[in-house]
Amino acid sequence: MSWVRVRLLIWKEFLQLARDPILLRMLIIMPIAQLLLLGYVVSADIKDISMAVVDLDHSPVSRTLTQSFSASGFFEIKEQLATESDIQPLLDDGKALIAVVIAKGTGAEVDAGRVAPIAIVVDGSNAQVSTVASSYAAQIVQAYNAQLASSYGSVGGVPQIDAKVRVVANPTLATVNAMIPGLVSLIMMLSLMVVMSMAVVRERESGTLEQMFVTPILPGEYLAGKVVPYALIATAQALFIGVLGSWWFGVPFVGNALVLMVGLLLFLLVCIGLGLLISLISSNRQQAQQAVVFTLIPSIVLSGWVFPIDSMPPTLSWVSQLLPLTHMIEILRSTFMKATDFIDMAVPLLALTTFAVIFFTSAIFATHRRLREM
Amino acid sequence: MDQLAIASTDRPLVKHFRAVVAVAGISLEVSPGTVFGLVGPDGAGKSTLIRMLATVLAPDSGDALIFGNSLVRDTEEVSARMGYMPQRFSMYPDLTITENVNFFARLRGVKKAERKERSAKLLEQMGLTPFAKRFAARLSGGMKQKLMLASVLMHEPDLLLLDEPTTGVDPVSRREFWEVIARLRADGKTIVVATPYMDEAERCDQLAFIDAGRITRQGTPAEIKAMVEGTLLSVLTTDPHETATVLRDARIAGVSSGHIFGDEVRILAKDSALAGERVREALHQAGIPYELNAINMDMESAFAVLAETAPVQEAADA
Repeated sequence: MSWVRVRLLIWKEFLQLARDPILLRMLIIMPIAQLLLLGYVVSADIKDISMAVVDLDHSPVSRTLTQSFSASGFFEIKEQLATESDIQPLLDDGKALIAVVIAKGTGAEVDAGRVAPIAIVVDGSNAQVSTVASSYAAQIVQAYNAQLASSYGSVGGVPQIDAKVRVVANPTLATVNAMIPGLVSLIMMLSLMVVMSMAVVRERESGTLEQMFVTPILPGEYLAGKVVPYALIATAQALFIGVLGSWWFGVPFVGNALVLMVGLLLFLLVCIGLGLLISLISSNRQQAQQAVVFTLIPSIVLSGWVFPIDSMPPTLSWVSQLLPLTHMIEILRSTFMKATDFIDMAVPLLALTTFAVIFFTSAIFATHRRLREM
Repeated sequence: MDQLAIASTDRPLVKHFRAVVAVAGISLEVSPGTVFGLVGPDGAGKSTLIRMLATVLAPDSGDALIFGNSLVRDTEEVSARMGYMPQRFSMYPDLTITENVNFFARLRGVKKAERKERSAKLLEQMGLTPFAKRFAARLSGGMKQKLMLASVLMHEPDLLLLDEPTTGVDPVSRREFWEVIARLRADGKTIVVATPYMDEAERCDQLAFIDAGRITRQGTPAEIKAMVEGTLLSVLTTDPHETATVLRDARIAGVSSGHIFGDEVRILAKDSALAGERVREALHQAGIPYELNAINMDMESAFAVLAETAPVQEAADA
């Protein structure tokens, strides 16, 4: 590997990018526009969600909590129930989508400066609404906690309400628990693959690929020259739209940012590798574009982003494991919703690593092979 | 040094594309400092041969020595002394002339000082200096070809492989391009050039006539022309197509070939006196005014005749 040549290739790639207004728009403006548009679709109109409250505590704490739910505007308290067993019929009839259970003694625990658990029961059958509902509920509890913390100061233990979300009817809700983060990863996959798939085939069409390979350049150097600029751009893009999306739509983040970063980086490499591979084996742009569409559609449908994987036929759920997006969404979902470490995420992280290795190895082989077949 | 620029080995070059034989077995000997022309019908295998020599394509079998280095084993040494200009424009359309020239030179490892000096000299020679900052996409056909040649010359190769460098280029630019080639030859460079133009073929030192993936005839332009037996008769008329039809229908004995050449119909006859007599009769009967002359063999006619009468060699094994 000659660093001088790789650097030259990177410089050339950036020079071309800077001169291609369409490509730049595709990498920056398109993802933002899509995020905002689609973001509203996946989180829109979720207001006045019918809620049932089971207040077994009847303390000032339980009343304040109930009030903050109804005051938020997201929830409309339809029923006050006497027992927890009344929840299920209500959810079954669709009269309530979410129920909050405040156990006896919650107020006392809080007053004593301890952590008190409350239960949030969500009807998972309407996956979209319930995802948003549970995240809103979690937000409200968080806000309440912040209020508690500030009023108690730092003297003694900090009392807290620990909201435990329980999903009924559709226990696989967890797989669709991250619409916005999932959307971010999907948009990134889309824009990166569209741009990457053009990277080599454009050079094939302009004939510069042939000219490139009568120079001493090595396939690895050529690939590095293609990957590095786009990896840099993609990382910036991921951070930007990830942060923008989470902030704009108020998605809480409770997990391990480092795990998420590693996962995201691997996913970016997988997308770049796959796009590059498509670009290498396509003989013209149309072919490359069709290949991208062909890869993206199953990713959208089978990744568990929209349709839960557990409710798929066994063959399809097996196929879904072969899609990089499936693993990325699992990482996103877990890191956004709960405290996760590298051990918990070992399987999806390893899967993404495997994909990256496979795609890049194939890309290097394809570069060798295409040299002989052009 | 008398080493050959391209020397054959005992294993001729072969290249298939799936079931299609592009090059069926070619051995080439090219002396340094000469212009070697490749002519032949479309699809004869000229481009494939050049691309193999340029190390872009690996031969299925066979080898050649480029300045003593094996084309197959010493690819790096070969490509370092070689400049390849493909048939298609192959520079970055969104980079300027200077950027393109410098980019490929830097990939080749040409030092900065040399880059500066050579690019200034080459752009000047090609008349591209005023357009140095223009994007390659916005150059005319002739300028594009000159840009490619300039770029290919930046690492001072000893052997140039040019694949139909003037196809689609206007006649003035074509002449200028060949002036550059003549200058390069005078500098001692070896040039292998594929061309569909017979006036260009005439300017080569050596010619190889390629058909169906083999060299069927080889020699100087004069030798090639001498290979065509018989005399060339020119029938100058106002309606060459009608004339050609009449002459074809007349089925004149001893005439092996005929083709239209501008306002003329040129026919190749074994016995020019006898054939001339029959031509006069046929055209007189048809009432076509004409002027009949015996002329010197030209490359265009030789090419047309040789393309039709290419010796059928042993069938290429697929």
